Amino acid sequence: YLHVALLFWQQVILCHCTLDDLRVDGRSCEDYRYVEVETDVVSNTSGSARVKLGHTDILVGIKAEIGRPKLDRPNKGCLEFFVDCSANATPEFEGRGGEELGTEIANALYRVYDNERSVDLKSLCITPMEHCWILYTDVLLLQCDGNLFDAISLAIKAALLTPSKIPKVQMMEDEEGTTEIELSDDPFDCVRLNTENVPCIVTLCKIGQRHVVDATLQEKACSVASLLVSVTSKGTITCVRKIGGGSLDPESIYEMIETGKRVGKALHAPLQDILNKEESLGKSREKVGFIG
Amino acid sequence: MPVDTKRLRGPEESQSPWLFVEQEQQSPPDEREDGRRKGQVDVRPIFARCGLVSQAKGSAYIESGKTKVICSVYGPRETERKDETDMKFGRLVCTFRFAPFSCAKRCGWIQSTQEKDLSMALLGSLHPGLCLHRYPRSQIDVSVLVLENDGSALAHAVTCASLALADAGIEMYDLVLGCSLRQEGSDYLLDPTFAEETQEPATESTENRGGMMVALLPSLNQVSGLLCSGDLEQQPLVEAVAACIEGCQRIYSVAQRCLLTAVKKKNPPPDG
Repeated sequence: YLHVALLFWQQVILCHCTLDDLRVDGRSCEDYRYVEVETDVVSNTSGSARVKLGHTDILVGIKAEIGRPKLDRPNKGCLEFFVDCSANATPEFEGRGGEELGTEIANALYRVYDNERSVDLKSLCITPMEHCWILYTDVLLLQCDGNLFDAISLAIKAALLTPSKIPKVQMMEDEEGTTEIELSDDPFDCVRLNTENVPCIVTLCKIGQRHVVDATLQEKACSVASLLVSVTSKGTITCVRKIGGGSLDPESIYEMIETGKRVGKALHAPLQDILNKEESLGKSREKVGFIG
Repeated sequence: MPVDTKRLRGPEESQSPWLFVEQEQQSPPDEREDGRRKGQVDVRPIFARCGLVSQAKGSAYIESGKTKVICSVYGPRETERKDETDMKFGRLVCTFRFAPFSCAKRCGWIQSTQEKDLSMALLGSLHPGLCLHRYPRSQIDVSVLVLENDGSALAHAVTCASLALADAGIEMYDLVLGCSLRQEGSDYLLDPTFAEETQEPATESTENRGGMMVALLPSLNQVSGLLCSGDLEQQPLVEAVAACIEGCQRIYSVAQRCLLTAVKKKNPPPDG
């Protein structure tokens, strides 16, 4: 998907420059592009966020609905992911073209968030075996310019972090044993998720002898294999996955995990700061929206 | 949810009664259920054989503990879809399936998301080992069926598929071997059984738990697939990858011998 044709000499130059910690756009190997985050962009969601990373543009909307817990996890809520590759991003996604990429990303997301600590799923349970919150996380790719995974994980974290509108619910049982769900009348009486440990994904692309973070499409075209590392703010690693058609030698995997951990850990604090600032502004915040 | 209308179905939803049984198992420390040691590169004995599906170009069967995997390879044949990359490189198509009765919980006939995910992981692991540039405009189909899942299904599927590809005479850079690992605190369990893969921790602490699968090209010493999820610190993670690589090396000789037997059987040496 998303092939960029590069001439051979362009590839050679790109690979050689990377050796000297130089990249085409002037960044060093461990630098991200400029990131823009805006939360609460879609009003019908429980939480939403839009992230722009270079020209990559992601919109995430989370909707909370009540459903049944999975039988093997009776006292936990669940997260469901769906990634839509819209034909807006590139004509290759038209029809069923983006489906493969969409499932690949969604499956990776399930693995990234599938652990005890990243999202407190127990707090999403209302009554064990009966009712729980299901957070439907829908990811929309509006524009693709490389490094989709990192941008998506930032957007999901931001969307989870916003004062989510998951209302408080009480289960009432009458004498006949039937249960009723009672919603709180106060719209501000909401449950807030603990998102301290929600991981961020860092994708490292192996180019020549070195690896770079936040690769553009051109850089990605020069790399045969990349490693996806998801890191929490405390530095624990929740998922590692090799993507791409090539192989990596063990030593470089160890190095990439180390870089991934360092970069990922550093990614959390600025995001948290910005979101806190945005929240403190409250309603006075100037909304940028989609034309900004 | 896609609904299967072609086959006779039971009720919309049904559960195995075993799911409701409270499970309590306390294995003594240092010892695993089958007598293997924790924290040691101790893979289950492997039985592998090539060439059992006569219609397929190549096939292989692997049994490790109670995990049983069968794989057949068809092709290279002309591709159905054609785009620019297909003109230069062959296309590898992998299908990973659990037989409906293979797991503790019955699997449906329709490919589930988990199976799709594992198919992609299988494809990613096999791809670096194949000389696909030797097969322009063609497609190679690999289908893996897990007959019985007693843990480490993906790892054995990778090994099994690469044996089948070799048996089919597809040009490869190297065999691809897979090995799984389960991390429990400071200990790791190599080649875990299904019970070990899914067990709940004895303690509440959730630190350093996770599962991992590594695919290795053994003679080139290149990692072609890495899939890990859980909650791991960097140090145990790196050690776990190293342990998996060693585990892959352990089964290399079995895989080689299996291929040798298959070749000898196909082309019996002249008498005398």
